[in-house]
Amino acid sequence: MTARSAAGEAAQRGGAGARAVARKLAAIVGPRNVVVDPAELLVYECDGLTHGRVRPDLVVLPGSTEEVAAVVRVARDASVPLVPRGAGTGLSGGARPVPGCAVLSLSRMRRILELDLENGWARVEPGVINLDVTRAVAGAGFYYAPDPSSQSVCSIGGNVAENSGGAHCLKYGFTTNHVLAARVVLSDGAVVDLGGPAPDAPGYDLLAALVGSEGMLGVVTEVTVRLLRKPETTRTFFATFPSTDEAGAAVSGIIAAGILPAAIEMMDRLAIVAAKAATGLDWPDVGAALLMDADGPRAEVEHVSARAIEIARAAGALEIRVPRDEAERQLMWKGRKSAFAAVGRISPSYLVEDGVIPRSEIARVLRDIGRLAEEAGLRVANVFHAGDGNLHPLVLYDARVPGEEERAARLGGEILRLCIRYGGSITGEHGVGAEKAAYMAEQFGPDDLDTMQRVRCAFDGAALMNPGKVFPTPRLCGEKPGPYRPHPAEVAGLAERW
Amino acid sequence: MSAVRAAADGDAVLGLTPRVALEPGSLDEAADAMRALARDRAAVTFIGGGTDLELGAPPARLDAVLHTRRLDRVKEHAPADQIVAVEAGLTIAALQRHLAPHGQRLALDPPHPERATVGGVVAANAFGPRRTRFGTVRDLVVGVTLVRADGVVARGGGKVVKNVAGFDLPRLLCGSLGSLALVAEVVFRLHPLPEASATVAVPGLTPAEVRALARAALDARLDPVAMAALQEGDRFRLAIRFEGFGPGVREQAERLLALDPRCEALAGADEAALWARHDALRLAGDVRAKAAFPPASLEGAVRTLEPLAATLTAGALVLHPALGIAFVAGALSRAEATGSAVAAARVALRPGNGSLVLAAAPAALRAVADPWGDPPPAVEVMRRLKRELDPDGRLAPGRLAGGI
Repeated sequence: MTARSAAGEAAQRGGAGARAVARKLAAIVGPRNVVVDPAELLVYECDGLTHGRVRPDLVVLPGSTEEVAAVVRVARDASVPLVPRGAGTGLSGGARPVPGCAVLSLSRMRRILELDLENGWARVEPGVINLDVTRAVAGAGFYYAPDPSSQSVCSIGGNVAENSGGAHCLKYGFTTNHVLAARVVLSDGAVVDLGGPAPDAPGYDLLAALVGSEGMLGVVTEVTVRLLRKPETTRTFFATFPSTDEAGAAVSGIIAAGILPAAIEMMDRLAIVAAKAATGLDWPDVGAALLMDADGPRAEVEHVSARAIEIARAAGALEIRVPRDEAERQLMWKGRKSAFAAVGRISPSYLVEDGVIPRSEIARVLRDIGRLAEEAGLRVANVFHAGDGNLHPLVLYDARVPGEEERAARLGGEILRLCIRYGGSITGEHGVGAEKAAYMAEQFGPDDLDTMQRVRCAFDGAALMNPGKVFPTPRLCGEKPGPYRPHPAEVAGLAERW
Repeated sequence: MSAVRAAADGDAVLGLTPRVALEPGSLDEAADAMRALARDRAAVTFIGGGTDLELGAPPARLDAVLHTRRLDRVKEHAPADQIVAVEAGLTIAALQRHLAPHGQRLALDPPHPERATVGGVVAANAFGPRRTRFGTVRDLVVGVTLVRADGVVARGGGKVVKNVAGFDLPRLLCGSLGSLALVAEVVFRLHPLPEASATVAVPGLTPAEVRALARAALDARLDPVAMAALQEGDRFRLAIRFEGFGPGVREQAERLLALDPRCEALAGADEAALWARHDALRLAGDVRAKAAFPPASLEGAVRTLEPLAATLTAGALVLHPALGIAFVAGALSRAEATGSAVAAARVALRPGNGSLVLAAAPAALRAVADPWGDPPPAVEVMRRLKRELDPDGRLAPGRLAGGI
């Protein structure tokens, strides 16, 4: 959504913007927890995706579910759009403000409320950092499975909004497979509890709709997440290959052998160079590398790991390294997890893309990406979750060179289209946000998007929550006593203004 | 063209007989059928294999039934990508037969696989003992093609496992009992067929011992695919199953045998017989209830459910200790007593968000007990969702919790 059309929307709502309700919000959360100072607002103009900045009218930081509900009611009465925000680490502009909005930051709500190891869950506030959940239960041998690369700084509430994944979701699933319950404030101020510590709550699985809804269905104020016992054994190996063709063949061979790795990650030549520059790892200069974890009971893991190494050798591995101890293993993973930031060592600027392709097409798609990069005159480093075909092409460019940023953005878009053409998806874990909403219409048809938007209307008929995200053309909600009829504004083309 | 015929006895849903029955043979025919039903403002219930048709309340209106049995094709199977796209009327057993030569399976083992269909399993959220390791259908579905009440065909999810583009329609449809849309096609992620399997069984356990041993196995970091306890008299036989590669399965079974001297290892026909007995016990009689509770409350749940089982003829319990699920099955003899026991169990299960759902019940029991219990806490949002997708309330009206 462009800034101008968002302003038009705010005017259309009849709202005067969030600044008009600053005093009312301060009465709810305390004056210190309403940010209006332009210098302080600067940090809220974007999330982890730093271009396309929009300054919010204000930021409100509630401290409890009750305060969130009161804030939402004030915003609703004044038609002020709300943009919920966790740690602000998202990479798709999911927390990008719209003009006149209030950013609703959950960063003050960071308590771990309850741990129940007997039943295997933790109830936490949305601002709790992902890794802090694991830290709180690691002593007892438990952990929280979803592990986005940003897990030391990203929040559980943000993870719920984006249905975050991570390297280990190949075996363990995504956030949606690990959330047992949530308390949600809806746009009418109602507080609802979805799910619970017992499984199979009767009724629709609204939790399934909520997780991954990018803050558009409501504000999550409590989350109950599943805790898992730490696997008995983990075996890791690092394998190098002449090119991504052989590495891709190794991945396919491992999967075809009936092995379900805990994680299997691939890096291409440029990503390896960057990781080496950033971490000082003594990785060789090769065309591709794989990093694989197998975990579970001892004998199973030993068997699986040995078999996977055989397959990697047969596929043409140049060298296999097995870490001598946990410290060395952590170092290998550090090399992988720091790969995004590491690219900053070899390029002044870069774009992180996130797309998914069928796993068996990895080698072909990487060649296609290479060709597109060459045509654009840019370099692309590839770091990705090979087991599930989740690519993270990093488009390198120099913002100081006129026109290069635009070319990089165009190349990023071409890569997403490539993913769609191969039957994949424009996002595996970063979300659609503001950045990819335009591509949704290429991956999905109008009827698909209309059906999804009806789900939104059931939760947020006022379209108050995080407007302008996910959908290229918002749908107006309204009571439809009979069969569906277009809203008059829809017919008049008003909704097309977004 | 979709086959349309006058309804017969076999088309009845919980005692209601519709006027017509439709049997579309393709997605286009299904959409045509749905549009025709919309024009006629006809209330419709979808029928797959009919194995879970007794779950939920009878439809408030029933003009037509739509059978998915002619939608039984495998549309796409990409073994290297561990993905399969199938039509809704394909049975679970037929799907597994298609996948097995490729060394793959859908890691879902609901009862009656020869009859239960893919679409029905999604709609009814049906599951079997392997839920312990692989979760429910919501953990395995990655895409869906649905036909809305207005006949519009829409897709959600996709053909890749990892995908967060758009709202999660596939998972939202799990357990919706055909009240939001017709599930016409489903895309699943697949798992490798295991090389080896072994089950360790321990007879004569109290509920407390069942929970303690199940917990000991998990604390020992074993990774069972299934754990279930079958009632035998006033004791339980706990069965724990391992699948995977030979060395891993052998080691895990041996370590479990060492944990408790009463353990016995089962393989081959004995193992298959034990799990067949699990399914038979879970499905015995005309009353079948599913109770859900936090797993650590297992003993309390059994104390709550035993009086209910006692009201039934040959009533028995099946426990899934790692999940917090228990089944009660038996034959109805005194509807009033069973109805009171259902109500009492619901009160006792309420803390911890527990529930008791009747998956099957004769009319006499339905007269005194709601199949779902109290409306769910978010019932208002659920009603709005129903209105958004089915504004005229024509899809299985009244079948779901809260009268939805």
